[in-house]
Amino acid sequence: MSERKGRSRVLQATKKIGELILEYFAKASDHKARGKPVAWVTVFTPVELLHALSVFPVAPEHFGAMCSARNFIMEYLEEAEKRGYSQNLCSYSRCCLGYALSGMSGLMPPPDILITFRNSCDVYVKWWQSLQAHLGTPLFVGEAPYVLAPEDLENYVLDYVVKQLMDLIEIVEEKFKLKFDEEKLVEAVKLSDKASELWLEALKLRSNKPCPLGGRDSASDIFPLVIMQGTVEAVQFYEELLREVRGKVEKREGVIENEKYRLLFDGIWLWYAFDLIKYFEDKGAVFVYEPYSEAWAYRLDASKPLESVAKKVLAMGLNMDIDLRVEKFLKSIKEFDIDGAVLFSNRSCKSWSAPQLVTAEIIGSKYDVPYLIFEADMADPRQYAEAQIKNRIDAFIEVLRERSCTRE
Amino acid sequence: MTPSVDNETLVKNPIKLLQIYKDSGVNVMGYTCSYIPEELIISAGFQPFRIPNYGSTFSSLTPTFICQFARTTLENILKLEEFFSGFVFAHTCDPMWRLYDIIKKKVGKPVFFIRVPHNTDGILQISFLKQELLRFKDFLAENLGAKIDFEALLKAIKICNENRSLLKEIYLRNGDGAFGVNGLDRLKFAIASMWMPKEEVNAQIKTFLSKIGDVKENYVRLHINGTAIFDLELIKMIEDVGCFIASDDLCTGSRYFWDNVANVHQDPFYALAERYLQRTPCPSHGPLQKRLAYIESMVEKFRVKGVLILTQRFCDPILYDSVHVRDMLSKKQVPTMLIDYENFEQEAGRIKARVEAFVESIGG
Repeated sequence: MSERKGRSRVLQATKKIGELILEYFAKASDHKARGKPVAWVTVFTPVELLHALSVFPVAPEHFGAMCSARNFIMEYLEEAEKRGYSQNLCSYSRCCLGYALSGMSGLMPPPDILITFRNSCDVYVKWWQSLQAHLGTPLFVGEAPYVLAPEDLENYVLDYVVKQLMDLIEIVEEKFKLKFDEEKLVEAVKLSDKASELWLEALKLRSNKPCPLGGRDSASDIFPLVIMQGTVEAVQFYEELLREVRGKVEKREGVIENEKYRLLFDGIWLWYAFDLIKYFEDKGAVFVYEPYSEAWAYRLDASKPLESVAKKVLAMGLNMDIDLRVEKFLKSIKEFDIDGAVLFSNRSCKSWSAPQLVTAEIIGSKYDVPYLIFEADMADPRQYAEAQIKNRIDAFIEVLRERSCTRE
Repeated sequence: MTPSVDNETLVKNPIKLLQIYKDSGVNVMGYTCSYIPEELIISAGFQPFRIPNYGSTFSSLTPTFICQFARTTLENILKLEEFFSGFVFAHTCDPMWRLYDIIKKKVGKPVFFIRVPHNTDGILQISFLKQELLRFKDFLAENLGAKIDFEALLKAIKICNENRSLLKEIYLRNGDGAFGVNGLDRLKFAIASMWMPKEEVNAQIKTFLSKIGDVKENYVRLHINGTAIFDLELIKMIEDVGCFIASDDLCTGSRYFWDNVANVHQDPFYALAERYLQRTPCPSHGPLQKRLAYIESMVEKFRVKGVLILTQRFCDPILYDSVHVRDMLSKKQVPTMLIDYENFEQEAGRIKARVEAFVESIGG
């Protein structure tokens, strides 16, 4: 079943995300209240290991996105800025630092340990170091080296990550007097793998016309994979979602009634501006592929849990060589029959945004796909020039319209 | 071949030197960061040349919120490609990481990327970096036909160690409150060391050391905290308003030369990895506490009255660290001022006014 919102439809599964988030934070607080450790982790940290150690992972990046989407991020941003953190720094980090500096009395329980693996950006290291300086909490900094050739991953790179995972296990065991449970790791790996499989299957169905799962859904529905990997709840969520998406495909029910343009979106979504997705949809444009949505899913091999998890830490999309990222783009253009690409130049994410223009040039020259680049911030609404961005979207849609007329 | 260029001319016009190299048939390897071992480049038969953010033209290939240093370095690589045999990048911060991506797609010359661990603490990390340096050695052989033999590497390490020791010797002339060598002269030699044959610059430093007299006294002694500064006019302007830059922790300053390669004969690649990973840390690497301790020790040793934090606008590592640098220094009652800038030439008036106000406020 789907609900009409103007001309757009949002999955039933998507509507349950808010409740799932609240339950998740309640579980984190309960875990802490029972005297068990809570870890603040960057999002591509292998949480399966933490499940096997009975450490509850919480992701401040996700918290930042949620604060922005629910319109209470400003108090935290301002707190961090008051303390000296520049507005030019990542807004997730400013939100988190502001939260940490203002007493941590909200949904996210205070951390007992800070864990990061540098993979998608280098800011992780500086952010987590800053948290440690303010909170005095133990810090673990891991490193997933940039993957230059995944099909030919050097043994010493994989060994390096595996050994760091072993170090992490040892540190947590010692610090919190906990015992690592290998069976729990295998179970968590199986559950993560299943959730990834289901989500990838749902994303694949977006190649159908009309597209059954839109940008509003994909932006929200990644949440269980962002932080609830290795849990039964995440698997149940994606099972339900996949059933619903399959049903839509069978009924040929799309995100909008008259799908004219199929778009690729490159970037993290602007959490305070979901209405921008509807703005596209009102013009007949649907997002059918985002590297960001896909990045959260990774197939794991439960027979080699530690090695498999290490490969996952390495394989985070932005940690893959540019040729691979471009190849994925080009493949998606064919697979999803994409008419245009929208690239969000995100002031907070220099790692993502820096090579975007070069990527866009390659897409444009290889497939003659028009692209739009616009600048804003993923979580800080002060960096959002709505009228100007909508003006650029209008012009972009015009280009798509003219091209479709020419083709006809 | 040792092109004879005095460092005054050199730092004002590095392209002149590149032209001399080209005309003389010297093969030049461009590099972007002080985490890249010049020793390997030299022992492979290349002249290392650190790509500066010289000039004020920003590349339009990146968004405007990428730091000026990365954007100008990118522009310079694209403009000056003809002078280089290849380029080597190091993984430091996000923009420099992504510069590798862009350059790889935009230039025809061989390009290499050294994955420098951000956690610099342990043997695991040093061993990893050693593997990366061995991979670089293979890259040089496979892509440029340049073989590194053991003796050549030992010789290169020796000459680089000598260069670092000499640069440090100049620096230490300011120890314990002495007014030995100003920031401008020190920076000229550090930059020249990144561009000229080491033998030549070492000889110039020895001559300079033998002639050092007293310099201006009773000026306000400052420490400069920042990233890479190639712009001598900026340093000159600070010193012209009544300051003496007694110390720094710049990438083109003390961080470049403070530590030498030790235990070379056991395993030179491991020795290089150890030196480059455990050297004076860049804001993008290593534990924050190590960096704070280094700045604190410099402030004490060189008896400075204030610290100027000079940062390229949008430089994440410095902007995060600046909060903690200021916290640490305020506990020691050392005044600080953060100046961020994007284009020194256009912002010189504003920067000068702020430095003047800072110097006055701390009793200059």
